[in-house]
Amino acid sequence: MSAPTAISADVRTSAQQVGFVGVENIVKRFVTPEGTVCAVDDVSFDVRHGEFLSIIGPSGCGKSTLFNIIGGLLGDYEGRVTVGGETIRGTHAAIGMVFQEESTFPWRNVLENVAFPLEISGLPKAERHERARHFIGLVGLDGFERRHPAELSGGMRQRVAIARTLAAAPQILLMDEPFAALDEQTRLLLGDKVLQIQQSLKQTTLLITHNITEAVQLSDRILVMTYRPGRVKRIVDIELPRPRTSEIVSSTAFGHHVAEIWNDLREEASRGMRDEEAHARHRGAL
Amino acid sequence: MTIGPVVGAGFGRVTVVRVAIILVLLAAWEALARSGLLFRDVVPTLSAIARAFVTLLLQPDFYTNLGWTVGEIALALLVGGVSGLLVGLLLGGSRLLGRAFEPYLYYLGPTPKIIFFPVMIMWFGVGPTSKVALGALSCFFPIALSTAAGMRQIDAVLIRVGRSFRATTSEMVTKIYLPAMREPIVNGVRLGLGVAMIATLLAETKLSNRGFGYLIIQAYSTFDMPRMYAVLIALFALAIAANALIGRFSAYRASRFR
Amino acid sequence: MSVATRMAPATLGLGTLVVVGAALEALIRGGAINRYIVPLPSQVLLAFERIVVEENVVHRFLLTTAETLVAGALITIVGVALGLLLNRVHLLRAACETWVAAFASAPIVLMYPLFLVIFGRSAVTIVMMGFVAALPPVILKTLEGLAATRSVLVNVGRSFNLTPAQMFWKIMLPAALPTMFVGLRLGLIFAMINIVGVEFLINFGGLGQLINELAERYDLPGTYAAIGFVVLVSVLFFYVTERIERWLRPA
Repeated sequence: MSAPTAISADVRTSAQQVGFVGVENIVKRFVTPEGTVCAVDDVSFDVRHGEFLSIIGPSGCGKSTLFNIIGGLLGDYEGRVTVGGETIRGTHAAIGMVFQEESTFPWRNVLENVAFPLEISGLPKAERHERARHFIGLVGLDGFERRHPAELSGGMRQRVAIARTLAAAPQILLMDEPFAALDEQTRLLLGDKVLQIQQSLKQTTLLITHNITEAVQLSDRILVMTYRPGRVKRIVDIELPRPRTSEIVSSTAFGHHVAEIWNDLREEASRGMRDEEAHARHRGAL
Repeated sequence: MTIGPVVGAGFGRVTVVRVAIILVLLAAWEALARSGLLFRDVVPTLSAIARAFVTLLLQPDFYTNLGWTVGEIALALLVGGVSGLLVGLLLGGSRLLGRAFEPYLYYLGPTPKIIFFPVMIMWFGVGPTSKVALGALSCFFPIALSTAAGMRQIDAVLIRVGRSFRATTSEMVTKIYLPAMREPIVNGVRLGLGVAMIATLLAETKLSNRGFGYLIIQAYSTFDMPRMYAVLIALFALAIAANALIGRFSAYRASRFR
Repeated sequence: MSVATRMAPATLGLGTLVVVGAALEALIRGGAINRYIVPLPSQVLLAFERIVVEENVVHRFLLTTAETLVAGALITIVGVALGLLLNRVHLLRAACETWVAAFASAPIVLMYPLFLVIFGRSAVTIVMMGFVAALPPVILKTLEGLAATRSVLVNVGRSFNLTPAQMFWKIMLPAALPTMFVGLRLGLIFAMINIVGVEFLINFGGLGQLINELAERYDLPGTYAAIGFVVLVSVLFFYVTERIERWLRPA
């Protein structure tokens, strides 16, 4: 097949120009009935081109807010986001997003779902179907082109969503807990798949997660966030050999990293828990 | 006691039960007709109804009146449906407009519409236009309400997907909003067809010289009971068929989604 | 959120209503709209008092309400009983449920001339028409409620070795009640709509007849006022049944 090599070569050359994300002093406040809440407080970091960076933190640390800000779906924040050195406002063609929620279009079959971004960019039908087929194959769903999402399992649907984002050939991939709704085994195997594709396409990848194993399994670096307001607590280098597969989870180095991250995270997570309990008590008292 | 939908009851047995029920009902009807227990002709014999039905279907008159009624209902559905869709999109798209005006539609929806017929006659005369107007008024409400509700029910993540791929506004409407709202809109049209049909036909029975409603009231005033049954049977069959037809457009192959 | 932002939608809605009324008044007074087709809104408001005093509206309201309640009692007894029967005898349900659903989509109220022949121009015709037209949703919702009992609840019952009767009274029925109430409310509203409609059509009985009578007298403001009154009554009815349903439904 000639199509896949053409696509990856394509990505590699342009990645040098724009596959670099800068996040500078982002502050985001929300106005709620109970007052103003600071979700993200002065967060800065870089994602180097071709790097796999994970952001990990307890629920309520503002990581999904950050995801939406970098993806350009959420405005009205302080600070700036740069892609390839240029400040961006709103969505950017180089960025592809994979969402946490069920996001396949139920009225389109697998092929039409994956071809969606190509349809938006105005590719002729034959060509976009050919490219869509390539990415369906990449996530291992050959033979399911004509099925509708309702006929697939949750894991298969998420693979469709991932293939759809990949089909747009983004140099930068943003993923917000893409495996959250899946069981542990599917999560590990799909993680392998994503890593394999990411490595071969040399995509700059930013993964939002609350799963330590997943973060260590996939990442070059892990950014640990604090519980509300979300700040950068620490950035950890993961020095595990590549190429990696999920088999790495049994190695001692892996366990060491997991323990290290958990050490950082435990304090934040228990703060989050106490806070939630206080909220629940407050609601109960009303 | 077993629970849940019927499992194991074979198709064959169901058919047998259905045929049996129909036969029992028909036999009871015939017995009642021949017993003379009820006033004369209120329950005509089956053969009399069958004869009247065949006669009805053979009259060209029947098709002219059917044409008038179908035309009125179709026009009513078009006028009420398009205005309902537009109003629904407006109310569903704006939180302020929705909160301001939807309560009125919500509470006015389930009021009897036929009582507006005198007003429709004053505005549009005694001809078919007043029937169309009443039908349009009736179907406006369910279509506007279900469109508005459908718009609000669109999964927010699907809208974010569209935006993340930088779809234009028109692409968002045609490729995301409308497909996502297909089910509620079709359901609204289905409800709308039901009420438009009732309003139009009732108006025809009240004051008209054509249409299905007129045929019913004509049979009533000449006390031709077999004919009245024949018209009602034809009407119910057509109404049920039309409703089933629209239902087919409802679901994309995703009835199991969620 | 401030009080002003919370009140904005309601103010906009009511305000629009008042503005449209005032505009109509002006247009009619200015002669842009024929006042023999659309009466002045102010005249209609005044006619409200007149129909209440002269046309016996209270009595008519009570009559229509009574007819609706009788039809409501009938659909509750017959509809729930048929629903339970169909739920119990699976073969019957498999044979008849689609028929009931199809019947629900037919314009049943068009049978009123037939009922007129059978029961004469009487309250019986009106009540029976309301009853028949409102029956299908009650049956269907009863069935739906009973069939949709979550299987985990049924398994809980099984694990406690409940008898079939206990299973029904302690698990199936409580689980089905919310859906059944939805059906009953739907049925009551259908009954009311059809009863007022038939009153209007056969020119007999309560509120529906009042509209017909005033229209035949060509009393324009009176007709508009009577229609307004019936709309208000149905809105009130809709609202009250909604409240009752919410109150009955377990939280």
